[in-house]
Amino acid sequence: MREGRLPADAVHAVERIQKADIVVGIPSYNNVRTIGHVVRAAQAGLAKYFPQYHALIVNSDGGSGDGTRDAVMAAQLDDAHLLMLATPLAPVHRLSVPYHGIPGKGSAFRMIFQLARDLEAKACAVVDSDLRSITPEWFDLLLRPVLYGNFDFVAPYYHRHKYDGTITNSIIYPLTRALYGQRVRQPIGGDFGVSARLLSRYLERNDWETDVARYGIDIWMTTIALAEGFRACQSFLGAKLHDAKDPGADLSAMLQQVVGSVFLLMDEYQGAWRARSGSEPVDLFGFRFDVGLDPIAVNTERMLTTFRRACEDLREIWVMALPKATMGAVQELGRQAEREPASFHIPDRLWAEIVIDFACAHKEMPLERTHLLRSLTPLYIARVASFVIETREMYAAQVEDRIEHLAQCFEELKPYLIARWNDKDGRVTPPSAAPEQPDKSTMEV
Amino acid sequence: MIETLKQIVEKALERLSDTVTAYLPPLLACLTILLAAYLIALLVRWLLNRIFKGTGLDRFLHQSGLTGVLGRPGRVRTTRLVSGTAYWAILILGFLTGLSAFNTALTTRMVETVVFMLPKLLTTAAILLAGGWLGQYLSRSTLIWACNEGLPAPRRISAAVRIVIIFVAIVVAAEHLNFARSVFLAAFVLLVGGAVLAASLALGLGARGAVQKYLLSEDTQPSEQPREPSILDHL
Repeated sequence: MREGRLPADAVHAVERIQKADIVVGIPSYNNVRTIGHVVRAAQAGLAKYFPQYHALIVNSDGGSGDGTRDAVMAAQLDDAHLLMLATPLAPVHRLSVPYHGIPGKGSAFRMIFQLARDLEAKACAVVDSDLRSITPEWFDLLLRPVLYGNFDFVAPYYHRHKYDGTITNSIIYPLTRALYGQRVRQPIGGDFGVSARLLSRYLERNDWETDVARYGIDIWMTTIALAEGFRACQSFLGAKLHDAKDPGADLSAMLQQVVGSVFLLMDEYQGAWRARSGSEPVDLFGFRFDVGLDPIAVNTERMLTTFRRACEDLREIWVMALPKATMGAVQELGRQAEREPASFHIPDRLWAEIVIDFACAHKEMPLERTHLLRSLTPLYIARVASFVIETREMYAAQVEDRIEHLAQCFEELKPYLIARWNDKDGRVTPPSAAPEQPDKSTMEV
Repeated sequence: MIETLKQIVEKALERLSDTVTAYLPPLLACLTILLAAYLIALLVRWLLNRIFKGTGLDRFLHQSGLTGVLGRPGRVRTTRLVSGTAYWAILILGFLTGLSAFNTALTTRMVETVVFMLPKLLTTAAILLAGGWLGQYLSRSTLIWACNEGLPAPRRISAAVRIVIIFVAIVVAAEHLNFARSVFLAAFVLLVGGAVLAASLALGLGARGAVQKYLLSEDTQPSEQPREPSILDHL
């Protein structure tokens, strides 16, 4: 295995600190507005819940030019304002180091994991640096199952706005659940707790310089934990509120990295997912409570225009992945988007078939992977528009039921996935080509 | 008189006999070689059809995207393509071998020319195939990018990219073959120059109003309103 070298600052820090029981990692890039709050929450959490442990907070920075690293080092915890029932026995060290290699969250995580391993940490937690709703309790919830519950992987469980986390809700959660049979609700949440055992397994792998180095890291971590049989659980962290995003950020690249990582891992772990059917709940820790969330405005008209145009222009790419019947259904959706945009709807089964067809085409045509994944963007946008139109008047619980229904569709289509996965001659027809059945996804709520 | 006529006829018959004696054996040899080549070509085609039927060759070409270069995806039968190529290659080889049986200056030159040109022709074919593949790949990338970015007429942009790349491949191939070099080079320069001029004119005419507005209001208005950030996170 070729392992990335730690920067000199990090090596000196390891030599100086020598050992840490807990490592908290915070990847960052231009997060000066929020990272101070995240570091203070981490300091408070470690001091309050793990006073007996030696701990280190590591900021792995991607070359911020806005003073993010200074903000990390300047973040001070005012002990007087916190009610600590235990006196910290060991100081919490802080370190801010720029990582090397491919710019991205995955590269930042790699350095954090290397540091954690070199310091012989028993548990490691990683959290995003743009979080506004993070509290000291998050660290207790992410680390305690590892330190005291013998769990290897702690995934987050949040309350999010119904239109937030749409890649998670429409592709990653239902697909991961159908594949690996475990209901991890936020597989790409970005805030995780990891055991030393799992951390070593991550570092052993040699695919760090793929899409894993970027947005693919979250699903990569979750998939390895689930597919290789590590003990996984979830912790309820409350609301997930983060700093405003740049609207110009490349959605297509993000989708390519995340979905591409899932598809690649599907190929690697086919032995694991083929044998599993259905799904089971994963342990959920923490006290669940409802929270108020920021409203989000979504312009579905623009989304449907993008989809309509793609139906005309991307046909030659989509036919590489979609069987004739599915392609026909997509073209019909394009016409529907023009005729009656207010009632535009992509049935859950059809959406699940589309994702499965793209996964199989991704495996079949390695040289066309980038095209396939990038051409999925307008379809995904159409799915988001459909979801927004459908759930506009729904409450959070009702929306969750809709996502549950989609996840069940993915599970029901697993035999189709297995058949298509091995189908070299395109003989397997999609279930939607079979005689029509009433679609539960259009049920009244 | 009769004697003279007889002599002429005898000489004509002698020349015919010489010609027949000189060319009939090579002709027969040539026909035999051609027949043998034809039979071998038929046999090889049949064998290749049998061997490649059911192998992963079709799949490989489909996965590599080469079927799209050679024809419409799904319509190209790779087995037939390979066996057909072998069939014609053997026939051409047989024809050249047959020609060499005559051992004349003309046939020798023809055979030498073809043998000399063969590596160049193969390289040219490879250049054109690579150009076709690259053109298709990059035109698809452009199509998807333009579509995702919401640019007008993505298919036209994509077609333009494909045409330019294939044209570059043709120029390189012509250069390699020393075939009409100056014509292709001049056409290439004209095409690129024309494209740049057209783009400049289109941009200039299309953005004239915007530039005028910008220049007039440069001192009074802020340069650009930042887009409102979004709290929607897809992940």
